Order: sequence, then structure tokens, then C-alpha cells
Amino acid sequence: MIGGILGFFITIFLYLIAKRLYRYKPILLFSPLLFTPVALVFLILGTHTAYEAYNAGGKWLAYMLQPATIAFAVPLYKHFPLLKKHASQIVVSVTAGSAVAVVSSALLALLMHVDKQVMFSLIPRSITTPIAMNVSEMIGGVPSITAVLVLITGLLGSVIGPYIISYLRIQDDIARGVLLGTSAHGAGTSKAFEIGSLTGTVSSISMILAALVTQLVTTIVV
Amino acid sequence: MRKWLKIIAQTGFFVIVSILMNILVEWLDIAIPGSIIGMFLVFFLLQMKWIRLEWIDAGASFLLAELLLFFIPPSVGIISYQNLMLHEGFQIFIVIAFGTAIVMAASGLLAQRIAKRKEHSQS
Repeated sequence: MIGGILGFFITIFLYLIAKRLYRYKPILLFSPLLFTPVALVFLILGTHTAYEAYNAGGKWLAYMLQPATIAFAVPLYKHFPLLKKHASQIVVSVTAGSAVAVVSSALLALLMHVDKQVMFSLIPRSITTPIAMNVSEMIGGVPSITAVLVLITGLLGSVIGPYIISYLRIQDDIARGVLLGTSAHGAGTSKAFEIGSLTGTVSSISMILAALVTQLVTTIVV
Repeated sequence: MRKWLKIIAQTGFFVIVSILMNILVEWLDIAIPGSIIGMFLVFFLLQMKWIRLEWIDAGASFLLAELLLFFIPPSVGIISYQNLMLHEGFQIFIVIAFGTAIVMAASGLLAQRIAKRKEHSQS
């Protein structure tokens, strides 16, 4: 109980520190999604705390992902006319991107000789956590491993996303949003909102669409 | 102070919707998460003007601005898989890094191409 409450507040505290550091010096190490978990892992291992004890408090923060997902309704509403105008562009590229995500995960995993169970856990890694865990369970992966892999994907995606955008010269705001939301779910969307409000909204739509498409296809196939 | 009370109350609204939607999903026994249904519901309520934007705008902005915070506890879960990460961590990293780059290139380039073609056909 004490561990849980402490874990809850230390997480917020370290997150606020990371945010301030990142604002002061925007380098990868200070990115809140890297700095905070790494600092927490060291702290938990260093004090011989069980993850379960930490997570007794941490899970309440994780629960807030659900209301936050609902909150995407607000930017969706604000940008709806623009989204409607670009609906076909978004739907086509997100659907194609989701197919590429599933196929590339499976092929790369086979190529790298990753364990079968890990491979199935990797397949839904680019979609938002709750649905990814759902899909993982349906296809024979381990949902809790998937949750971690989804997070790594989000972290990596929000780091390499801006480089890929500039390398491939993606100048269209809609395309940038599609790229980040389809590949790196909520973390990518958070990065997309740094680029702009429209890019962020398109990214959140892409994230939701990618999750729905992947879930739908899995339900039909499995 | 007033501003924070407003944010807390509005955040509470989203929490309540998420609780209700989870109950609904369990009751209907469907595979779609309650939060996705909740998002469509709130969007619908806004579109119908049954709730006004200013009633929930501050709470939504707060939740979305601090989104990364909510990802942190599950990502710390990696310590439960120390063995896996020690043995297959490198391969997993390669799969995720290359896979993510491929998805980005595919979806981004396709979306950009469609945008350009549209522009072209309009002019």
C-alpha cells in the first residue's frame, strides 16, 4: 500500500522533472517517455521493490489512458470538417499502413528468429495498448509482453518519426499525422500535437482507425 | 485555483464516461474497448450540441497534454521480463525499429501521394 502510493507520486514527480529538463534541453535522454521509466526501473531494482508493489499505485495512472482516449473526441470534434474532407486519404493510407505493420512485424520476427510467442506478441505492437493486448490474446501472444512492446514502439516511433518525416520530405500535415498515428499510436500522437493541432488530430484519428482495422481483421481471420 | 477546479471537474467527466462505457462493454460482451466507444459517444454528444465544448475542453486539453505520463507505469513493466530482454532484447529492438520505420514510410508516402494527386486533379 505504502509502496503503491509512493510509486504513484514518484512517477508524477520524475515525469515533471523530465518534462522540465526536456523543455530546457530537448534531447532524447530527457524525453519524459524515456527518462521517467528508466529512472523508475533503476529505483525499483535498486530498492528491491517488486513491480507489483509499485504498480499498485502506478495502475491508477495507467487507468487514466482510458479517459484520455475518450478526450480525443474534443480535437476530433474541432477538426471534423477538415477530417471529412480528407477522409478517403486517411482511411486508405491508415489501412495500408496497418497491413504493413502486421506483415513487417511477422516477417522481421521470423528473420531475426524471435521466439514464436514473442512474435505473436509483436504483431499488434503499433496499435494502442488496450486493443493491442486484446489482439495479442486472440492470436496467441502474451498480452503483458505486448503492452511493453507497444510502449517500446511508441517511444522509438516518437524519436525516429521526425527524422523520417524530414528524410522522406513529408510536408503534408495530413500525411504527417497519418505517419505518426499509424506507426506509433498515442506516443506518436503526442509528438504529432507538438508539430501542430491538425497533425495531432489526424494522428489520433489514424491511431484509432489503425486499432479498429487491426481488431476487425483479427476478429474475422481468427 | 479556479482553473484547476475546472480541470479536475472536467477530467472527472471523462473518468465517469470511461467507467460507464467499461460496464456497458462488459454487459454487451463485445471486443471493442469501452474507451473507443466512449470517444465516439462524446463526439456524438458534441455534434448534437447536447454537451457544449466549453464544458469539457479544459479537461480534454489537460488529459491529452499529459498523455505520456499515463504510459509510464505499464512501460516500467519491462522489469518483469528481464530474462526475455536479456536473451532476445536485441532482436526485438531490431524488429521494432525497422518495422516502425517501414510502417512510417509506407503510410506517410501513400498519404502524401494521395494528397498530391488530389491537388493535381483540382487544379
